[in-house]
Amino acid sequence: MTTVLTPPGRRARIARPGPAGRPRPPLLAGLGTGLILLLALLGPLAAPHSPTEQLAAPFQQPDGRFLLGTDVLGRDVTSRVLSGGRTIVLTALAGTAAAGAVGVTAGVLAAMASRRLGDLLLRCVDALAVLPALLVVLVLAAGFPGSDTALVAAVALATAPFSTRVLRAAADTVLSSGYVEAALARGDTRRAVLRHDVLPNIAGPALMDTALRLVASLHLTATAGFLGLGPGGAAPDWGRMVSENAPGATLAATPFLAPALLLVLLSVCVGLLAGRLADLVGRGSA
Amino acid sequence: MSLTVFVGRRLAAGAVLLAVLSALIFAATAVLPGDAVSAVAGVDASEAQRAEVRAELGLDRPAAERYAIWVAGAVRGDLGRGFVGDRPVTEVLATRLPNSLLLAGLTLAVTAPLAVLLGLWTGMRGGAADRLVSTTAQVLAAVPEFVMAALLVAVLAVWLEILPRVSVIPLGGTPLDVPHALVLPVLTLSAVGLSVATRLLRVSVADAAASPYAEAARLNGVRGVRLAVRHVLPNAAGPAVQALTLTTGALVGSAVVAENVFDYPGIGRELQLAVAARDIPMVQGIATALAGVMLLVLLAGDVCARLLGAREGHGR
Repeated sequence: MTTVLTPPGRRARIARPGPAGRPRPPLLAGLGTGLILLLALLGPLAAPHSPTEQLAAPFQQPDGRFLLGTDVLGRDVTSRVLSGGRTIVLTALAGTAAAGAVGVTAGVLAAMASRRLGDLLLRCVDALAVLPALLVVLVLAAGFPGSDTALVAAVALATAPFSTRVLRAAADTVLSSGYVEAALARGDTRRAVLRHDVLPNIAGPALMDTALRLVASLHLTATAGFLGLGPGGAAPDWGRMVSENAPGATLAATPFLAPALLLVLLSVCVGLLAGRLADLVGRGSA
Repeated sequence: MSLTVFVGRRLAAGAVLLAVLSALIFAATAVLPGDAVSAVAGVDASEAQRAEVRAELGLDRPAAERYAIWVAGAVRGDLGRGFVGDRPVTEVLATRLPNSLLLAGLTLAVTAPLAVLLGLWTGMRGGAADRLVSTTAQVLAAVPEFVMAALLVAVLAVWLEILPRVSVIPLGGTPLDVPHALVLPVLTLSAVGLSVATRLLRVSVADAAASPYAEAARLNGVRGVRLAVRHVLPNAAGPAVQALTLTTGALVGSAVVAENVFDYPGIGRELQLAVAARDIPMVQGIATALAGVMLLVLLAGDVCARLLGAREGHGR
């Protein structure tokens, strides 16, 4: 994640002639994102206890054995926090990747097809965009209860319409440029133009757009966990931990605050990173 | 094209779109009929019982036929009955939807003026205040609604104990009977709405403030509030209405979450309960109704933008 996102930041720092007050490269946000992603992905390996086993009385205060205390069912909060991020992050990443793939394909298709066909494709996409994202998630959760794949598909369906619009506009700009006209005029096939001219040139906007969608995907997957959709049972999940432990926040604050703060930090860092990235890419191409 | 023709055309297009969306919703929820049977008959029902339930619910017929029957009912105003409690879906909609609309209306009443003020201020001023408000809005927008709601509950209801934790509405009463129960849900939704709307408005205000028209007014000595209200706001109003429309769309999703956190008896809470109980007819009815509400909101936004555009063209 961070390795992919650093180059634009570095490039901009060198190229920036700018007056004072221009946004700095997103070092802090990048660092925060990287750390929380590492925690979420590798955390399950470091969990000291079983995240699903009842080990002590509910809502015990933090001590030497349970660093963050115990939750509403007497499970170890440290282990649950360490194990609860992986599903959210992986589902969000998979959903974003799927949405990105759909967005690029549909966007490029809409731009390269005839005007009428392209407009028709966009109409269909717009129809989907009418549905609020959470409604899509809820409807698919009702049709495919407890399914991981359905959650990924719902996240992708809810975010792809916007990607399609953005990437169609980007592909349109490339297609109306002089070098594409020159390439077509000298007899290049449409496939060659697609491979050598269009795709490399929309890679930047596509990456930026995907980063923005990742924020929305994280929201959706965390909210799905909070509402008890997705894979059920005792499996740890930051979103579900917030809803489980919120009623007992007066008895023990850590079981509720730890996952809530991690979610806030992750969302804010990824959001700031995506926003800054959008600024940098926007300025670079302008 | 007169306004009536415009609205008529948009309504017709909206009806077609609603039909398409209802088919999509139906398809997404009806492809696994087996699961609906287990929800009603119980997981350990025998094969004979399952077959009986399937026939009773009409699930043994092909999906297309079931959709046709559902549409025929929906056109007559009958959305079927829920599996759980056998309540008519339309009755649930009639009792719960007004509560949710009240919540959304109050949120818009708080959000719209504040967002316009903040948008005008940051879009025209720039500088440190702009950066502060913009960054705050960006951070707020990044916080998931349920975390915001849970934090508000933890601080205001559990820790300081100044507001009720859940919105308990007396039986047969309306939320207006217990106004303090509305404070936390409206506060949560306003924070979400404000962060979205302020950022969108700031952009359109900044565009309008940089236009030659505003520059000319500034050169003529028009400054401050007068410049903002007489010259920038009318030009930013069209995009601003679009921004508020988009915010309303985002609020529909947020409302589901907020209603669940606060146990507010709205349509979003009902939808979540129906999803949890695999109550397919209820999910189909509520989801289609919400899609209809969204289409109406979008239409209202377009009509407002058109009216504002017309006024700009003739007046001033």
